[in-house]
Amino acid sequence: MGLALGCPTHQVAEGTGASAPSSGPLVLAERTESFVLQFLTRKIPSVLFVLVVSSIVAFILPRLAPGDPAVVLAGPDPSPATVEAIRQQLGLNLPLWQQYLDWMGGLLKGDLGQSYVLHRPVGELIAGRLESTLELAALAALIMIAVGLGLGMLGGSPRSRWARSIIDVFNTTFLAVPPFLTGLLLILLLGIVIPLLPVSGEMGFFEDPGISIQFLILPATALALPQAAVVARLLQTSMLQIRSEDFVDLATAKGVSPFRITHKHVLRNSFGNAVVVIGLRIGELLAGAIVVESIFARNGLGSLAVSSVQSRDYLVIQVLIMSAVFIAVVIQLLSEIVLAALDPRIRLGA
Amino acid sequence: MAREPRRFNLTASRYLQAFRQPKGIFAATVIVVLTTAAFLAPAVFPGGYDQQGRDALLPMSPEHLFGTDELGRDILVRSLFGLRTDLTLVYIAAPITMAVGTLLGLIGFVSKTTGTLIQRILDVIVGFPGLVLGICVVLVLGTGFPALLISIVVIGLPTFGRLARAALLSQQQREYVTAARTLGISRSTIVVRHLLPNAVDAIIVQGAVFIVHAVFLEASLSIVGLGIQPPQPSLGALLNTGMRYITQSPTYILGPIIILLLLAFAFSLLTDALNETVNRK
Amino acid sequence: MTSDTRDSASVREDQPLLRVEGLQVSFPTSHGVVRAVNDISFEIGAGRILGVVGESGSGKSVTARSIMRMLRAPGQVDGGKIMLHGRDLLNETEATMRDVRGKRIAMVFQDPQAALNPMMRVGDQIAETLIVHGTRKHEARQRALELLHKVGIPDVERTIEQYPHEFSGGMRQRVVIAIALANEAELLIADEPTTALDVTIQAQILKLLVDLRKDLGVAIIMITHDMGVVAELCDEMIVMYGGRVVESGPVRTVFNNPQHPYTNALLRAVPRIDTPAGHALPAIPGSPPDPARLPGGCSFHPRCPVAVEKCRTDRPPLEVLAPSQRAACWVSASGGDVEALPMPVVRTRTTPEEPGKPILQVENVRTNVGKPRHPIWAVNGISLEVRAGETLGVVGESGCGKSTLSRTIVGINPVGEGRITVAGRDVTRMGKEDLRTVTSTIQYVFQDPYASLNPRRTIGQSLEEALSVAGVKGHAARTRSRELLERVGLNGDHLDRYPYAFSGGQRQRVGIARALAANPKMLICDEPVSALDVSIQAQIINLLEDLRDDLGLGYLFIAHDLSVVRHLSDRVAVMYLGRVVEMGTAEEVYGAPQHPYTAALLSSTPEPDVDARKRERIVLAGDMPSPANPPSGCPFRTRCPIGPLFNKDREICATTPPPLAVTSNGQIAACHFAGELAAAATV
Repeated sequence: MGLALGCPTHQVAEGTGASAPSSGPLVLAERTESFVLQFLTRKIPSVLFVLVVSSIVAFILPRLAPGDPAVVLAGPDPSPATVEAIRQQLGLNLPLWQQYLDWMGGLLKGDLGQSYVLHRPVGELIAGRLESTLELAALAALIMIAVGLGLGMLGGSPRSRWARSIIDVFNTTFLAVPPFLTGLLLILLLGIVIPLLPVSGEMGFFEDPGISIQFLILPATALALPQAAVVARLLQTSMLQIRSEDFVDLATAKGVSPFRITHKHVLRNSFGNAVVVIGLRIGELLAGAIVVESIFARNGLGSLAVSSVQSRDYLVIQVLIMSAVFIAVVIQLLSEIVLAALDPRIRLGA
Repeated sequence: MAREPRRFNLTASRYLQAFRQPKGIFAATVIVVLTTAAFLAPAVFPGGYDQQGRDALLPMSPEHLFGTDELGRDILVRSLFGLRTDLTLVYIAAPITMAVGTLLGLIGFVSKTTGTLIQRILDVIVGFPGLVLGICVVLVLGTGFPALLISIVVIGLPTFGRLARAALLSQQQREYVTAARTLGISRSTIVVRHLLPNAVDAIIVQGAVFIVHAVFLEASLSIVGLGIQPPQPSLGALLNTGMRYITQSPTYILGPIIILLLLAFAFSLLTDALNETVNRK
Repeated sequence: MTSDTRDSASVREDQPLLRVEGLQVSFPTSHGVVRAVNDISFEIGAGRILGVVGESGSGKSVTARSIMRMLRAPGQVDGGKIMLHGRDLLNETEATMRDVRGKRIAMVFQDPQAALNPMMRVGDQIAETLIVHGTRKHEARQRALELLHKVGIPDVERTIEQYPHEFSGGMRQRVVIAIALANEAELLIADEPTTALDVTIQAQILKLLVDLRKDLGVAIIMITHDMGVVAELCDEMIVMYGGRVVESGPVRTVFNNPQHPYTNALLRAVPRIDTPAGHALPAIPGSPPDPARLPGGCSFHPRCPVAVEKCRTDRPPLEVLAPSQRAACWVSASGGDVEALPMPVVRTRTTPEEPGKPILQVENVRTNVGKPRHPIWAVNGISLEVRAGETLGVVGESGCGKSTLSRTIVGINPVGEGRITVAGRDVTRMGKEDLRTVTSTIQYVFQDPYASLNPRRTIGQSLEEALSVAGVKGHAARTRSRELLERVGLNGDHLDRYPYAFSGGQRQRVGIARALAANPKMLICDEPVSALDVSIQAQIINLLEDLRDDLGLGYLFIAHDLSVVRHLSDRVAVMYLGRVVEMGTAEEVYGAPQHPYTAALLSSTPEPDVDARKRERIVLAGDMPSPANPPSGCPFRTRCPIGPLFNKDREICATTPPPLAVTSNGQIAACHFAGELAAAATV
């Protein structure tokens, strides 16, 4: 046949180098592993940069506030003895960089310091509140992902006109309404008008899962819906945009059914974007917990943060700020890794 | 030669087109009515927001549209004064944020190293979830109007800084920018004359989104007690107090919520209308 | 296509494979209904290749999509029949259509970069076509391997596991063709399948299609704007204009004796590789009509050189005007001559008797487009010069560095090594004063007329900006802007309009006017006509020629289209992978190419000439290597038809880069075996 005109192209011949020919999954696993390492080495410097700078910000906050840092750190109405103790313990007479290194060293070793307002170790305070916030954030994240992806997919698939407008209305509403408003409306509707669920207080999940969930549903929903709308809107836009790509036309021309087109071609190409947005939104979810916990009278880290700010308990708030930034950054990094692992163009280092 | 009006034609009236469609008209009406009501409140209610009545915690009624609070004060009046605080806050903060943010985004096109440094700093700010950043500012400056103003600006800066940079970067790839360079036009002139006008669309649209964000930021911080402090009224501060009486008088918080929702929907419609206008060729 | 009055109830063997009858397609928009396709009919027999020719907005792609029932919203078929083996596809259910798509009729799209799913292995994409039509999974994979092999993809066991981004454009188009062939469809609809590809890759794909037709007997509807492709490939053709068929018939008949003035113009108004420069092209005025605002009567009449009164009022029917040939034209129907074209001005080209000092001198310039530590030399040691009134053409395929070269000359990319002299001044360092010299001497005409004007500024503002750099301001600038517009053939009153109000050809004129504002001595034209419709190209080429001769400008004319370069250029430089591989006068280079790459380029270019089909083509293998990773020795050796690929003993090609030197017959080329292919390629 006169078809042997195709000589190895540059890309095909030299493109992916050493990987063994065929034998799919194994090769993929190896590739993915080495890719994650590569990806991390490329990303870690900028992540570290953000973490270091935010730790400096957290460190410097009490020193920026007007007045003697020792007095500031001691909280309202401190005794001279406490002030002196703080001065000694934090080495406030040392140079600033040394204070910072000592503080960071302590954090890294797990020594989170002492709350001079509550007279308890910071670690203990946080540990006592952690479960409440973790449960709230976990359920909210689940709701956000489920509702966001679900509505996004519905909106991005060929639908009847009315189905699409219902989705649009949901998105527009919750895009415009922040967690605290959703929370207040839920309280009014499901707590007061039709008293279905408790609107304030909480119960540990491991004490009584059933009741715990009842307490969790409203705050978690309030926290999740606005973020879910963001996820849904993005997935929908992305899917509609992918739908107009040539390769979707080619799939249609191949005789592929609309359902298969949606999940094999459209969704697969939009999913990465959704993952990144979810990663970004989880940080916002944590921050939203501050308000939502306050509205639903939950004793989580959010309320701890608020009361620490009010009582100027700097040593607690510093740790909380650091952990919020840390979690947000790590989750973003994870979502970027997932995105890259999903996309062969990034995975195979195009 | 009517050349001056032409330039005007391109910027201002382009966005005014948004108010020709039903959405835009509705949004503009609501925004104008709310703004006027808020800023005329001191003139209409010379008694101010602290005038107490005999009946506390009344539900909604024709005399007191939004009911009364724990001291018998009319919640509608308080809401309008609260709205006045909020709008003052965002009408000052939004233009500052938009201008400074855009400027920060632009710097990268004049000086590369400064631009990179600025983007790095914005990256760090983005690393802080919004409210956490607000808390940092409150920690240093204490609660109140100035701290809120600064929180809003700081939280908004990365949005506009990155948006401006991205819009400009995408414009910079366009051939007409290369064309200007081959004509010998200076870099700063290209930024001002060619890049900026084409980036303004995105910034204006984002501005409408940001105003609502800013109002909600005030409300969020005030609700937890870290924002505007009583007796100064703000929508968030009203909600903060109202939450305490939610079982006795559920309609207490309804008034401020209605105003917040109206504001949010008006601005989101405005965003839509602006979006459609700028995307229309 | 011997289709006169055929009885629809005739025997089955007599049925054409596909017959389109009276197809009407419209797009209801908020500004009214756009009739994209208006009552068109044609047919194609089994194993035939039908060319559908037209410019943008002619309705040719809409027709193709209608056959597949894949119109984009809000498009709808208003009437007509699409008979596949006598069954009307328009009456079938969507489920039946899914069986037809990919199995009976398959489609190949224009842009292979976009037509493959980036997240799916190519093997899976081929197998999917088979699986959705009922093949079992493991069989589908086996068949995918065969198909990849059949379309000429090497090392299939490995490449079947790869993703599209690991393939070059030509290879991706092969994969798309493999997908189309998977279920042995009887009909292949190819929508501009080679437009996005380079000439040498286009030749590969066209050869592949011809071979497939021979081997598999598949019928092909070839949608194209390029008469050369039609001449090379097709048996029958239809010409579309303004949503209607204006002419149809066997390719040879139509080419030799066009019955519609539009067909005639398409054939005559394009520059040809075998015609030397010296005469203006007979350009059709105006631009293709907007389908939303079609002129009344014959929609071609506003541009037609032979139009009579009747053409303005009555629409001519598609009538049989010669055996097996139909045309819709009042003039030819009444026996008139449609081959009359606007008389080209006989050019009195006065090549400067004594060429003066060169305006531009480039000596051994290299440009790094990579990082300082890992250089990628997109321009790798190039020397050339341009003098007043002279055109130096630069040809090469995408990625050869021709645009980087021009961007280096005007200071957008920094010069890595070598020297650039403009108007006698060494501007290599591109300091402030250097750039002033460059911009006042050399101006640039861009490829994409849609992107090269700021959409937010009136063309008056764009022109005045250019003038202000040259120191012309205020009222004088306004007057000069008018003059410039009129100089390039536009209405001087249109200064206050925004670019969107102009067609592509008009915008390109504005771009040229802007380049002329500073009274430059030389223009760099970077693919100035390749984004334009065929019928517009000739206008712009003529304008550029007029300006050169009237103003004594020097041109550095960069293009991938060899015919256009030949038409305009005095001297030609052929670039490959950042180097000039051959240089000489246009007669020398086109008449007796010394470098095998030049010979292959010339041989690969399809000519709008049915007799050219007989000649033996040199089809190059593979793609141009990446400049990031150039081959040792001669950069062309990996594809060279006379190099070590085919002559094992020619080791010198892999070890020693050939210098650009005088060859045995006195021309200049960079090849150890220069001149060997010259005879084979001469047309």
